[in-house]
Amino acid sequence: MIEMRNLTKTFKDKISVNQLSLVIQPGVVTGFLGPNGAGKSTTMKMILGLMNPSEGSVTIDGQSYKALKQPISKIGALINGNAVNPKLTAKQHLEIIAAASGISEKQTETMLMETGLEKVKDKPIGTFSLGMKQRLGIATALLGDPETVILDEPFNGLDVDGIHWLRELTRKLAQDGKAVLVSSHLMSEMQMIADRMIILAQGKLIADMTIDELSQNSLGSFIKVRCEDNKELQLLLTAKGAEVKQGKNEELHVYQLDMEQIGLAAKTGQLALFELTKIQPSLEELFVELTEGKIDYVSTDNLLAKGRESR
Amino acid sequence: MKNIIQAELKKIFFLRFSRVYLLLTIGISLLAGFIFSITTNVTQGRAITDLSVMEIVSANMLGIDLASILLITFTALSISREFTAETIYTSLAAVPDRKKFFIGKYVTFFLLSIAVSILIVALIYLSSQIILMMNNMAAASLADADIRQFVLGVVLMPVFYCLLTVAATIFFKNSGGGIAFSIIVMVMPALINMFSDTVQKVLLPVMPQSAIHSLSGSAAEGSFEALGTFTSIGLLLLWLVVTSIISTLTFQKRDF
Repeated sequence: MIEMRNLTKTFKDKISVNQLSLVIQPGVVTGFLGPNGAGKSTTMKMILGLMNPSEGSVTIDGQSYKALKQPISKIGALINGNAVNPKLTAKQHLEIIAAASGISEKQTETMLMETGLEKVKDKPIGTFSLGMKQRLGIATALLGDPETVILDEPFNGLDVDGIHWLRELTRKLAQDGKAVLVSSHLMSEMQMIADRMIILAQGKLIADMTIDELSQNSLGSFIKVRCEDNKELQLLLTAKGAEVKQGKNEELHVYQLDMEQIGLAAKTGQLALFELTKIQPSLEELFVELTEGKIDYVSTDNLLAKGRESR
Repeated sequence: MKNIIQAELKKIFFLRFSRVYLLLTIGISLLAGFIFSITTNVTQGRAITDLSVMEIVSANMLGIDLASILLITFTALSISREFTAETIYTSLAAVPDRKKFFIGKYVTFFLLSIAVSILIVALIYLSSQIILMMNNMAAASLADADIRQFVLGVVLMPVFYCLLTVAATIFFKNSGGGIAFSIIVMVMPALINMFSDTVQKVLLPVMPQSAIHSLSGSAAEGSFEALGTFTSIGLLLLWLVVTSIISTLTFQKRDF
């Protein structure tokens, strides 16, 4: 189990990670989301001891990563798929890591098979596409059969088959009881694979909950209602504390009340309901809502668009 | 530690570049030594037959200077690849204890440089015998204490500069820094020789070249370079220990 306590990383003029306290649980795929510069990669690097925390601590089963006897059997990580020597072959790359960790060479063959690189194992990595390099990075991460798998942007460069494979793999790893931490900017992918979401912005923890919990807490989540008398129903719902907005096509958008409460209100007013639909925001919409005003790097076009919206 | 050294050796020998470069280092050093010893009439104004056995061996062993420079470059290029190709991520994920990682690299390059150095010195020694034989001169015998001391002493040169380069390259995180540092240390005595005796008296005895020359017996008696055996060994170790400590401390604090 990975535990972070008040983890902080400060650079000269910027706090990259700010007082982050988290526990990465086994048996769960945890999505790690955040805008560029939110501190995701810095956090992952601090877990692996590649960066030293300015404050706080990160432990793996109570020990720092540097103190672990067989670290790659505790955590397997893909930090940068391109961080490979292009002159080596895939097999040689894995054999070097295996040798350093005292893992048998047979395991390298197994990982090459599992990641679909068996046919190209003797080709120089320099001839690989980004997707193939990502597969090799994942093979490296899984080489020591680790208890925790950390994957930073693993979907980058993967083709459709690769994306399907990675979805299945992350699910299987979690089912096998491993803790899986995946960072990605692909919201749709994260929505499909992650059981739990950790959202960072400007180094701070914005949310740590399941997607359902995120939706429930979202301001963007509402109930779409069509009724025989919208005006009458709006009065009844407002009296119950709901916020009601007029939608398109004679529909009401009801916030802060659940479906049962709306149904009971309609029953009180003896109004027939034609539609009662819960509208869940997509992960992307939730992400935008949660990180509003907390993004360090925004394009000029987006800034102008936001300015127009606010006017 | 055995695992780390095995992995480091694989990192070196899996690459065709390394295998070719090391073979070329041996070949070029041997050739350079041979050329130095057969061109003494041009370089020293004396025919080869006018030279003593020791002088011929000594001229031939100049090839080891070139071997040192080539090995410095090889070491710096090999180690800096960890930083430029960012393979340091996977290396440190497998061996997160940076002190252990540093020692592993250090021992690997020590073993490699000592093997290469012994091989080159042995080949140059053999080529010296051939040159002596071709000129109907007596063979250079290791039974001669001066020749033995010289041959054993010069073996240290590539090893010392290779280890210095390991520390410097990890400190600077690039090959340029590693090469420049070791070459500067190597050529510094030549620069110091341009200054007054007072400056030479202070600086020359602390330069590694003085220790290597003293150990190989090529430092002239009474010169500023001449040091005792233990002082020479101590001086070389001091250079290696100080540069390693500085490099390790920096490496441990560094973020990747």
